[in-house]
Amino acid sequence: MIELKHIEFAYESGSELLRDINMQVNDGEYIAIVGENGSGKSTLVKLLLGLLEPSKGELKNTFSSIGYVPQRFETLNSQFPITVYEVMEYYRRILKVADKQAVRRCLEQMHVYDLRDRLIGTLSGGQCQKVLIARALLGSPQLLIFDEPSTGIDVKSQQELYKFMQELHEQGITIITVEHNLKFAARNADKMYHVMNGHGHFCNPQEYVQEYMQDNVGGAE
Amino acid sequence: MLEYAFMQNALLVSVLISLMCPMIGMFLVLRRYSMIGDTLAHASLAGVAVGLLAKVNPIISAFAVTSVFAVLIEVLRQRFRRYAELILVIILSLSVGIAITIISSGMVHTNVEAFLFGSILTVTPDDVLAVAVLCVISLAAVYFLYPQLVMLAFDEDGTKIAGVKTRLINYIFALLVAAMVAVSIRVVGILVISSLIALPVAAALQLGKGFKVTMLAAMVLSFIAIITGLVTSYWLGAAPGGVTALVSVALLLLIIIYKEIRAVL
Repeated sequence: MIELKHIEFAYESGSELLRDINMQVNDGEYIAIVGENGSGKSTLVKLLLGLLEPSKGELKNTFSSIGYVPQRFETLNSQFPITVYEVMEYYRRILKVADKQAVRRCLEQMHVYDLRDRLIGTLSGGQCQKVLIARALLGSPQLLIFDEPSTGIDVKSQQELYKFMQELHEQGITIITVEHNLKFAARNADKMYHVMNGHGHFCNPQEYVQEYMQDNVGGAE
Repeated sequence: MLEYAFMQNALLVSVLISLMCPMIGMFLVLRRYSMIGDTLAHASLAGVAVGLLAKVNPIISAFAVTSVFAVLIEVLRQRFRRYAELILVIILSLSVGIAITIISSGMVHTNVEAFLFGSILTVTPDDVLAVAVLCVISLAAVYFLYPQLVMLAFDEDGTKIAGVKTRLINYIFALLVAAMVAVSIRVVGILVISSLIALPVAAALQLGKGFKVTMLAAMVLSFIAIITGLVTSYWLGAAPGGVTALVSVALLLLIIIYKEIRAVL
């Protein structure tokens, strides 16, 4: 379980981005975090991952292992000379996963084992996303966090991706995903967490999408 | 040529440099820290000057002083993320200021040119020992921290999430850069070190291979550049640093031209 109570966050130079975030994510849930660009969704994810410390408030995390799937090229250098196998093997070693077969198993689970000798920068968006999910699965995570997983990938890959996410959820893995793809988010998620003006609240996925459609005709993806 | 003890010393040191520079340079280039390597190379002149003044082996003193500057850069980089280049200018001014003051005041009597451009005549058995010790420790550190260093360069957030103490690894890496600079001073020369950090890696990157293969290729290219510099230096009497830099550039250009021709055909 992750519990956030009255979380506030401000970057050094900027104004307060998150003002009063209260959120509880229970084991086995599938939560989609939604909100406008710049609303603080990604910052909230960084707080959940422990990459940032809240300025105020209390953050409790009982998950012993967390896997993270970043936006494809947001944090990764596409020119980096590294093969898919190297990414997986070195990550296995820093996670201290003793089972050497884990690399093969996770790549096979995501159907990308045959890409193991390719440079990561030469993969398509969908292929890269699958490799990043395989990497996140290496530590047998209880919680998987995705940051806008459908960004930069084609529709067919998106459908595959959300099917995988649903399968992982059915295996009992808790999922938190920052979403701009409301169609898939509404279909998969148990709950939506809407971040706006530094505050956040849970809402029903279907109701949220309906409201969004009314406010932005044709705006929902 | 190899019957001379000074050439044997120079050759041994050259082989070790060709391992060290691309190994550390690979991480510097991929983390876009090439300028940190360049700054520390220049900063090492202060270490050499202090060593000559204190009558300590200049390689050891260069390692000690460059380590202080390297750690200082890392500390300031954490604090002033938006002014990374300014930090380098400050460190450069401080170190070169110290070096020029000591050397120009006449407190030490030495041929500064040998340190700036490299020299094959001045490598003493003590230097070989110092270089060997620094290399063995550095190679061991990179061997044990290899996955952490690669992942930190590839995906810093992912590495932090995996539980790696990234700040500690960054400090250790700063010391490794200082060791690389200190090792290279004698044969390659302070002014040329940065070309050996970046150019063989830049050339190897053109091959489009994975991390390990790219690093090994960079080591081979670096070895060719240094040995050519060494041999030419022996026959022409020129400083090895100049030829090493020129061969590094030539190798990079040859690989780029080869790639372009292959793409057209």
